[in-house]
Amino acid sequence: MAENTPDGRDDAWGRLMAQAQDGDRRAYDRLLRECLPFLRAVIRRRLRGEADVEDAVQDTLLTLHQIRATYDPSRPIRPWLAAIAERRALDRARATGRRGAREVELDATLSETLPGALTNEGEARLAARDVRAAVADLPAGQRQAIELLKLKELSLAEAAAQTGSSVTALKVATHRAIGALRRKLGGE
Amino acid sequence: MRTEDLVTAMVREMGPVRRLRPPLVRAALWLGFSVAVIAALVLYSGPRADLAERLARPWEAAQIALAALTAVLAAIAAFHLSLPDRSGRWALLPLPGFALWVASLGWGCVADFVRLGPGGLALGTSWGCLGFILGLSVPMGGAMLLALRHAAPIRPVPTMAAGTLSIAMLASVGLSITHHLDAAIMVLVWHAGAVLLAVAVGATAGGRALARQSALVQAEA
Repeated sequence: MAENTPDGRDDAWGRLMAQAQDGDRRAYDRLLRECLPFLRAVIRRRLRGEADVEDAVQDTLLTLHQIRATYDPSRPIRPWLAAIAERRALDRARATGRRGAREVELDATLSETLPGALTNEGEARLAARDVRAAVADLPAGQRQAIELLKLKELSLAEAAAQTGSSVTALKVATHRAIGALRRKLGGE
Repeated sequence: MRTEDLVTAMVREMGPVRRLRPPLVRAALWLGFSVAVIAALVLYSGPRADLAERLARPWEAAQIALAALTAVLAAIAAFHLSLPDRSGRWALLPLPGFALWVASLGWGCVADFVRLGPGGLALGTSWGCLGFILGLSVPMGGAMLLALRHAAPIRPVPTMAAGTLSIAMLASVGLSITHHLDAAIMVLVWHAGAVLLAVAVGATAGGRALARQSALVQAEA
């Protein structure tokens, strides 16, 4: 029978396994590598997700190794291989099912958008710290204008009286300071 | 670990293994061992005084034969179930015999009732029977775990259920040879009850032990 028909391959694999049982490493190596696609195909019928399929393939290889004495060379090998692969695929499917019921995958919407102002307080504090640092870096005139007009919320007239500069100069300084802050905080 | 690396590692550490003998041969060896253990116990406690007279009654002889047949079929089933490429339907093999045995005990209860009236169904306690069947099933179940350890990654629970059924039925046969239980209802409750209890214990504890062993092997690798 030709080697590439399923039955011919079955015979060849059965012979390799019999040799492996007798301790032939090369036969074992060839058998394992040749039957990997077959094992994957059996497992893919039961499992989705390439990582899970590959885990189940490895579980299958370990089981096959552990119970290789149970193979009877007078019988076809593929039902033997397929039965082991199905067992491990079912085990893996059950394990992922359990995991899926317990866990939720994190994505962008879950990592930041939390309801309620308090839950996002940490974020707000970090932002406030950045703003204070940026204000401190401004030139003295602009910093003073921002502090008086925006942080202490004085009116232009009050600020002009306190600093001795004109209302126009304060307006210009504030405008430049806001521009500088926007570049610094937003542009980064 | 990549699958190809795993294959390389497996090939590196592989050695020759001895092929398992065919399941029928292994079942026969196992049955020979269990019969020897039970026969030794029967000889030690001595057969019941009225054994010959009992065996002359076709109904009782048939019950003992049914129990023995169930034990043999259950052992054959267990050794087939332990192999990956055999059908899970082997688990059904001992069930008709077991059902017939229980039914014959039930029919015996009816016969006792007809013959003796309600007094024929008086239920006493026979902790000795329960103790004998359980006391035998548990250590022999341990030996069976050893014989069937390669079933661990395949069908641990059905394999151990069938194996324990075999042991418990053999114990019931041994008990029928040594022990006085005249009323069918006593046999039904204390023999069949003990058998079912033994199977439940064997299937859960034995199945779990096999499954744990299998998990250990997977974890070591």
